[in-house]
Amino acid sequence: MSQQLAIIVMIDTENALEAGTLRGNTYLVDNMRRLGSRGECSGDLVSAVVGGHWSNGGQAQEQILNWLVGSLGSVPLTLPRNYHSHRVHRHDSRSLQSLGRLADAGGANAEDGDPLTEVRRIHREFGARIGTARGRHRHAHCDRLMDLTGRIVPEESSRRGDPVHSHPAPVLVDLCGEAVEKKVIHPAQYGSPDQDTDGWYWSAAVDTSRPGTYSYTMVVELQQLVRGPAGRTWRPRRMSHKARLNVTSTPMRNGFTGAGIGYLPVPSP
Amino acid sequence: MQQTRVNVVAVVDVIAALSDGTLEGGNMCLTDDSRYGSTGRGTTDLCTACLPGQLLTWTVLPVDVQTPVEIRSIRFLGHDGAALPEPPGEVPGEGEELGLAVWSGVVPASLAGRPPLLYRLELQMYEGVNSVLSVQSPAVRCAAGVR
Repeated sequence: MSQQLAIIVMIDTENALEAGTLRGNTYLVDNMRRLGSRGECSGDLVSAVVGGHWSNGGQAQEQILNWLVGSLGSVPLTLPRNYHSHRVHRHDSRSLQSLGRLADAGGANAEDGDPLTEVRRIHREFGARIGTARGRHRHAHCDRLMDLTGRIVPEESSRRGDPVHSHPAPVLVDLCGEAVEKKVIHPAQYGSPDQDTDGWYWSAAVDTSRPGTYSYTMVVELQQLVRGPAGRTWRPRRMSHKARLNVTSTPMRNGFTGAGIGYLPVPSP
Repeated sequence: MQQTRVNVVAVVDVIAALSDGTLEGGNMCLTDDSRYGSTGRGTTDLCTACLPGQLLTWTVLPVDVQTPVEIRSIRFLGHDGAALPEPPGEVPGEGEELGLAVWSGVVPASLAGRPPLLYRLELQMYEGVNSVLSVQSPAVRCAAGVR
């Protein structure tokens, strides 16, 4: 098969964090439905991996799997991963412009005439800073809350309770389980200049010479917003989810004859 | 040394082909590695030059590897331009993995010296009513003798 195989892992982040499990909060979709995948759009996906072998038993074609993780509680996967950072920079730029205009006018352009109130308003709009349990941000752009429309959440609404916000994208951190232990799949993480995937993605080559149904486990890291003495922080939480691969191997055949090689079926002169 | 195999490759922009509903207009280009003077390389009017006894093999490649495309059938056209009837049992079934088919065959001696023989190349791009597109402009031309 010339097409690469893809498995989309869509996670309901909000509910997964609340329930403490990916079970019931994960939806899996692949592009092998035509070849017999079962359980599409559910948490129990059995992906069909169709291999081929030559008449001498040799493996005829390789199959490559790709995993792409998305979140239902985040800005769409189609946006570049630096979207959050871009929005924060734009927001900061506007805040600085407002301060600059206030300074230039000597406070005369404050909405209610009081420059201090105006400074406080700009400060509130700056947004709540979010720390991490490890004291640093894996994604620097997540140090401010952003809602699902791309707006930075103001400090004030953040204080009233947990506002609706976009979760940092879940990250697949490991692939393990039966299929890996039995060396049916050989997963690895690859680097890519593609900004849409943050530069990293998981792929695996499949040994289609050993047909059967094998389970594998995805380990995903989510970020939970928690309150602490030092304010709000993103706390990483790792959860795992199982799915299966149904590996089959079919003999290769000639397209013209349906069996072995023959003469081209041309019309008689 | 005589070339024993000739490879024909179809490179397809699947998204453009499905959007336009045609393989024409630059959505597919055909090329080969024949040493015997093929014409129309890079177009859908490829005329592959070959010799009797050579093994011709067709493969298809998507420009974007995440998109699906397979050869569904290759049918040589008769003198009236109509495709030869499909042999019984050769029509791909629903859900059949077309990627398991190897499209290769030996050039018969009866083709030698005849005018270029057109063929219909039919491609399947995933599934659905509009997923099958074809061209009838590529051809095979077989020289009269073996060098």
